[in-house]
Amino acid sequence: MRLSKLLAGLAVASLALAACGTSGGGTANKGTIKIGVDLPESGAEASDGIPTLNGVKYAVQTAGTVEGFTIEVSNLDDAVNGVHDPQKGAQNLQQFVNDSKVLGVVGPFNSSVARAEIPISNRAHLAQISPANTNQCLTKNIYIPTTLGAPKDITCKDAGILAPADLRPTGINNYFRVATTDDLQGPAMADYAVDVLKVTKLGVASDNEVYGKGIADTFSAEFKNKGGTVVKRQDFDTKSTNDFRGFLQSSKSLGAQGIYFGGTDSNKGCVVRSQASGIFAVDTPYMGGDGLQTSQCLKDAGQMASGIYAAVAAPNAEQIPESASIISGFKAAFSKKEDFGAYTMPAYDCAKILIAAIQRAIKANNGNMPTREQVRAEVAKTSDFTGALGKTSFDANGDTSQKIISIYQAKGTPVDWVWVKQINYAK
Amino acid sequence: MAILLVLFIPRAASDPSFFVQILVYGLANGAIYALIALGYTMVYGIIELINFAHGDVFTLGAFVSLPLIGAFGLTEGQSASLGLYAALLVIAIIVMLILGGVNVLIERIAYRPLRHAPRLAPLITAVGMSFILEGAMYIWRGANNIHYPDFLPAGRISLGGSASIGYKDLIVIALAVVFVVVLTTFINRSKLGKAMRATAQDQDAAQLMGIDINRTIAATFFIGAILAGAGGIIFGLYFNTVRFDLGFQAGLFAFTAAVFGGIGNIQGAAIGGLFIGLVKAYSDGYFTSQLTDVWIFSILILVLVFRPTGLLGMRVPEK
Repeated sequence: MRLSKLLAGLAVASLALAACGTSGGGTANKGTIKIGVDLPESGAEASDGIPTLNGVKYAVQTAGTVEGFTIEVSNLDDAVNGVHDPQKGAQNLQQFVNDSKVLGVVGPFNSSVARAEIPISNRAHLAQISPANTNQCLTKNIYIPTTLGAPKDITCKDAGILAPADLRPTGINNYFRVATTDDLQGPAMADYAVDVLKVTKLGVASDNEVYGKGIADTFSAEFKNKGGTVVKRQDFDTKSTNDFRGFLQSSKSLGAQGIYFGGTDSNKGCVVRSQASGIFAVDTPYMGGDGLQTSQCLKDAGQMASGIYAAVAAPNAEQIPESASIISGFKAAFSKKEDFGAYTMPAYDCAKILIAAIQRAIKANNGNMPTREQVRAEVAKTSDFTGALGKTSFDANGDTSQKIISIYQAKGTPVDWVWVKQINYAK
Repeated sequence: MAILLVLFIPRAASDPSFFVQILVYGLANGAIYALIALGYTMVYGIIELINFAHGDVFTLGAFVSLPLIGAFGLTEGQSASLGLYAALLVIAIIVMLILGGVNVLIERIAYRPLRHAPRLAPLITAVGMSFILEGAMYIWRGANNIHYPDFLPAGRISLGGSASIGYKDLIVIALAVVFVVVLTTFINRSKLGKAMRATAQDQDAAQLMGIDINRTIAATFFIGAILAGAGGIIFGLYFNTVRFDLGFQAGLFAFTAAVFGGIGNIQGAAIGGLFIGLVKAYSDGYFTSQLTDVWIFSILILVLVFRPTGLLGMRVPEK
């Protein structure tokens, strides 16, 4: 008797809920459009991927329904055993391509993953916007430009890296990004090292990936250009190497005043720093790119965390007064400290740019579900989009008009990342 | 090989300090490989099984010690004192006992039922055990690099020029030497050691002489795990980072070391470990770490093809 009453009550309640569900939508719901998100979400890189994913989620939450379509986030993890994996990324993209509701993708996080993914999304005319990829050869032909002191431009082909055209079998660009490129990110740290930290001799290492070796190379070029000396250079297979002391010790004995490491924390970028204990003093500059600017990095570095400097290829949204309301809204929705990272706001902008493009495409298509090609074309037209990072336009290569590099320093007790400076390279 | 030496010698001669420096790191790395290789070689010596799970037992040593370090209230950065090292010693002993138990359990579950099965069967369960241990550590701590606190003293002693040896390096090498000497003495002198040697020679004959084969084999696994546990803690203290899949690579290197020294041979494994450590350090230092695996596994293949009994040969008579 009691059970049947309970069941009846439940049935009534669920009917009421269902009614709310349909009436809450307002105008007739035309269906669902998915935004694919491909990021590393597990292991060492969860501290990169999850805050970035949150940016997309918040953008979608605040967008509501778009022209009668519900927007949904469909996220896949490209980390295998805790480290980003290009093949896994390519599989994820294939999965998005096979799902006809996916009209655009935000991601990936890592340049090596992007290199495997772009050919797949390109064949499907699927727009892809990355919040964090910085390798220059994803969009440009020049690996190290003459402006960094090279006697002539070194092309991606010269450096043995696939050029943008090789990644785009259809010849039409479908890949965009809001982070600027490593031919600025690497040199920005070199400028900072020479001008602000006043170091002239450094050891340089990398994790030998597309991204890591790229910034180590452009860093070295600019550092030499400004009169500095690279006393020791080594590229490591960080998956099998645990001992970096030989490199650190010989750099030190050759007079290095610090170390530059091109790579990510998941590739032991900050383990190298912890092993400098006893070789270099605490607070000795240890520099790198955005791959180091994570909370995991500070944990890996342990007692040696203080004195790590990282360049990030995006403006710090917290320094832009107009973005304050977006950030405070985000922090109200995602309240934990680790929910917010260096690429949360760039990811938010990626998603907003994509949603705006989808909206324009729906309108152009008389309110019907647009094709991927229509969305891609609309993303390419993005001009002076105002988001959390300021105004963003995409050039013909898919690169952002924003050329701002932010410099962060690990300091304080407990040690945390502190924004110290930004350098604007826009002409 | 000749081309390599031609490339290598002038570079080594041009900077002798760097050569010596790499030697120091190679020996310290090699000491850790030696500790793992001993476990491989002992198990192989007694039941002719390549215990692929051994590398993961080594990783487990580092993983199990981490919460204990917390439980003992040790924090990174505290000044070196007798109390700190006493606590570390106690932690090491607890870890060794736990791992000994785990390894005996592994033997009981995965290897003993297959002792008379074709030799491929226990080899496959060994690979399976390796995956189970790795999976368990993945679930436990995730796939992050885990920072291992730095407790060893940071000072260095100059070796002339720019080369120097850290107290850390000395401690690691010294610990490995102590373990090898104790183990060799134990196997040559103690009653259990004698039983182990007898079991290795001929299980049936040993049984007829009243040796409890099961208990002797379990003891071998126990001792192997003690060495692996010590190796795991030393690895953590030395490199200050551990990861769940560490044992895969380290295990393969240590296996190569055991084969190089003559699998089944205790001294051979120790020498093999040092040799592999040196090859790795020189390859990383003078060439590129991308090629290190190639050199090491080339050595494995060359030894297996041209001198399958290894450098010192197996000290166990043919069956």
